Amino acid sequence: MNSRAAFVFLASFWMLAMPAGIGSAQTAAKPKLSASAIQIALIEAGDIQIPAEFRFAVYERLVQRVRESGAFQKVYRSGDRAADAVPDLVTLHTKVEGFKEGSQTVRELTTVLGATKVDVTASVTARDGHVLVDHKITGRVRFFGENLAVTNDLAKRIAKLVREAF
Amino acid sequence: MVALFSYHARAGRKGFLVKLTTTLIVALSAATFAPAQTSTSSAPSPTAAANPNVRHVIGLETVKRNAIGKLTVHDSVLEFKAGTAGNKVPVSAIDAIFVGTETTQSGGTAGRVIKMAAPYESGKALTILMRTKVDILTVSFHDPDGAVHGAIFALPIGTAEPMRAQLVQAGAHSGAPEKLIQRQVQP
Repeated sequence: MNSRAAFVFLASFWMLAMPAGIGSAQTAAKPKLSASAIQIALIEAGDIQIPAEFRFAVYERLVQRVRESGAFQKVYRSGDRAADAVPDLVTLHTKVEGFKEGSQTVRELTTVLGATKVDVTASVTARDGHVLVDHKITGRVRFFGENLAVTNDLAKRIAKLVREAF
Repeated sequence: MVALFSYHARAGRKGFLVKLTTTLIVALSAATFAPAQTSTSSAPSPTAAANPNVRHVIGLETVKRNAIGKLTVHDSVLEFKAGTAGNKVPVSAIDAIFVGTETTQSGGTAGRVIKMAAPYESGKALTILMRTKVDILTVSFHDPDGAVHGAIFALPIGTAEPMRAQLVQAGAHSGAPEKLIQRQVQP
């Protein structure tokens, strides 16, 4: 009877301890980075033909979203001279890899066609140029809303990535 | 059997009449939107003073997104005023100006609700009737600290280019912002 009780106790202890162990292993695998300030760089288009309003809308929404995320004490815009004095400053770079402009009218008429899509590579670098985060992200507007709404979706995804990393 | 057939025929006719009436109501309500749409899109004004239907898409921190207001250039300042809120950008701080075009839906939130509520998929007809083309004016400027901002405005079609010409005439830069930023960093 005693050995049976001990077995049940050990089994239940093992079952309870196991998920906690897995959790700690996961957190150990993904340590959070730390920085007090971030600077949002202007969107690089490279050879991709993307209208200026999309680039600036992504930039503006990124500044807003990263500020709202609360991951950093200070969020600087590109070119801000005040950022030069911050020692642990990190910079968020966004490079456009692909752009497909759809049509709001086609989207609302068909519900399956006319999507607008932007593919980007979002990377966060330290002052020395060391890459801390590097991900490919896609922003989409599929059903309702104007084409520029894709910038909101993209900024939301990038801000989430930054929030999870810091 | 004949009575049953005539009942079905009557019911079918009634259904058809309901559909027809609904379609007519939707078409008439859409027609009320159409004059407003054409009045803003087909009468481009050459001066900024007569340009009150400008929508602030994003970029000005003191003005709400999608606020409708008046965009003017005066005393070397680009001013956007929407009710009590407003924002002034010195023309000398403007690094680049871009003009684009976008097809969007007029009617705002009310239009969207009507489209969704319209029966028998007639909202799709409204989608076609309510589409309108707008000019997109993107103004890249820097604040006193050198931080880059990008303000985006939706203007009635044909009015963005005169506005850009006005800004350039007032002394604004119209080149690529990246080059200008490099020039600032390495004087």
